[in-house]
Amino acid sequence: MKAPRTTIQRKLITAMMLTSTAVLLLVGAVFVSHDFNSFRRFLVQTLVTRAHILAANSTAALAFQNPEDASQVLNALKTDPSVVAGALFDQRGRLFATYPMRAASEEVPDEPGPTGHRFEGSHLIVSEPVVEEGRPLGTLYLKSSLEELDNRLRVDAIVMLLAVGGSVIVAFVLSTWLQRRIAHPILALAEVARSVSERKDYSVRSQEASDDEVGILSEAFDGMLTEIQRRESEIRLLNADLERRVAVRTVELEESNKELEAFSYSVSHDLRAPLRHIDGFAELLMRHAAPMLDEKGRGHLGKISAAAKRMGTLIDDLLVFSRMGRTEMRKTSVNLAALTNDVIEELKGDAKDRNVEWKLGTIPTVQGDPNMLRLVMTNLLSNALKYSSPTKEARIEVDARSNNGELVVAVRDNGVGFDPTYTHKLFGVFQRLHGSNEFEGTGIGLANVRRIVSRHGGRTWAEGAINEGATFYFSLPK
Amino acid sequence: MPLLARRTPTLALLIAFVLATPSVGWAKLTQEYDLKAAFLFHFAQFVDWPADALPAGNSPFTIGILGHDPFGKSLDEIVANETVQGHKLLVRRFQNVDQVDSCHILFIDPSESVRMDQILSRLKGRSILTVGETKDFALRSGVIGFVLLEKRLRLAVNLAAANAARLTISSKLLRQSQIVGPVRVQ
Repeated sequence: MKAPRTTIQRKLITAMMLTSTAVLLLVGAVFVSHDFNSFRRFLVQTLVTRAHILAANSTAALAFQNPEDASQVLNALKTDPSVVAGALFDQRGRLFATYPMRAASEEVPDEPGPTGHRFEGSHLIVSEPVVEEGRPLGTLYLKSSLEELDNRLRVDAIVMLLAVGGSVIVAFVLSTWLQRRIAHPILALAEVARSVSERKDYSVRSQEASDDEVGILSEAFDGMLTEIQRRESEIRLLNADLERRVAVRTVELEESNKELEAFSYSVSHDLRAPLRHIDGFAELLMRHAAPMLDEKGRGHLGKISAAAKRMGTLIDDLLVFSRMGRTEMRKTSVNLAALTNDVIEELKGDAKDRNVEWKLGTIPTVQGDPNMLRLVMTNLLSNALKYSSPTKEARIEVDARSNNGELVVAVRDNGVGFDPTYTHKLFGVFQRLHGSNEFEGTGIGLANVRRIVSRHGGRTWAEGAINEGATFYFSLPK
Repeated sequence: MPLLARRTPTLALLIAFVLATPSVGWAKLTQEYDLKAAFLFHFAQFVDWPADALPAGNSPFTIGILGHDPFGKSLDEIVANETVQGHKLLVRRFQNVDQVDSCHILFIDPSESVRMDQILSRLKGRSILTVGETKDFALRSGVIGFVLLEKRLRLAVNLAAANAARLTISSKLLRQSQIVGPVRVQ
């Protein structure tokens, strides 16, 4: 935000100067034109009066045919240097006498022209009938130079321009002084606004006690600043309180989480010993007492053994899941393509009797914990293999692409798929969309995947429909 | 145009020369009396008559000629359809002074010069503007006399005579005239 110092001041000065100059010029023009007109009227009046007097004085000269006397009468015109020519015409329109006595023929016309006054070029001309007792005797012609009028106009114009010039200077001084009075509070306010927007300093105040609208603006602005300052400190306090509370809660949560995990670990661990006893003794009993038992008894023993084994797997998986949450990550550069290939080779051994088409796209090297990422790929690929088992020509694809600064890996199969309504349940612990008699499993695999990926800062999601296969995605930040 | 302009003064000069020539031709004479007739008429505008001497009611303002009439038709033509202070103008011709009853301006022809003193004394006390052209007409108690001065028709005014006739002659007219006769004592 630049200081608009020059602009508003220049605008104010310009406005005042323009106004005053325009007004002065207008007044001057009116004055000059009025003066010009009234002076012209005065000249006409003067010449007409002169013509009246001369006409009255020259009646007898015309009546009694005395051109010498007429010339003498006309000679009175020499008192007025602006009169360049005068002439008397008799009743028949013949030239009777002239002024000056031997006037140049171009100054005196052949005939006096119409009665009254008229302007011809730079001359004023008056034709006055000479009348005695109502009887016309002739016509008087007077020609006056308008040089005086021109001079008057010139002097008027000069005086006006001088006056306008002087007034413009005075107007400039006054407007400079006035604009300072008007602009100063505005500039102060602008300065305050600038420091507020630049330094986010809400403690400054304009402190401008102007008695006009700018004063109201300043006051309102100051009030606004006070309010902002108050709210800001309030927000800051609330924020600090919130952060403090979050920190307390986080510590509490972490503690209870640790407790819970330690509890579940120890429970799982402690559960394994009695389970091994059950399994072991069930096996011993089978070996030792099998011949003594009938078919039904052996069946029961087999079921005990199988249940114990399944429970063992479950506990193992839970332990792994629990470990995944607790063990420290060792992040290194991981060749995800090679890792995936290893996992596929391992799985191929379990599915020798099946017709499975494996496809591996271009997968880049990523940053992460290689053991954990191996577990992710193992879980996803074994799931794909498991749920595509009913499909005659199973196809499992793995590929990766970059999207918005993260790497998205997709594992796609053409197996039984799932009901998209339950997509949100897929990644939960012990959540299974298929019965264990249909597909065996503990319901911990995808929960593990989610836990590992989120520990890497990524996300997990899935797409699919019943009998149309499923695609599981996870993303890793680059 | 310049050709014509240059020619005009030459023409005017020629006419002036012809007019000024003293060879008294018939045309010259007519012109002179036309001028005198006009002067007679103009006197009515430059002279004031006393109120009781002005024509009463609709009666005309009279210009009289005593003796021979040198004007012919010119005076009648000049006054035709003219008025003086609302009164019609009338030209009357008198053979002798006894006939002069109602008259405001009276031209006394030189043919009456032998009886001049008698005529003027008969008109004494009456508000009649007497005009003549005999030598020293004004000096011999006529009010206005025509005189030829430097070949121009001029006027001689006897103020005492005018005064006696209770006539007021306009200063404008006096400007054009020479004042003759005794200095006015009043």
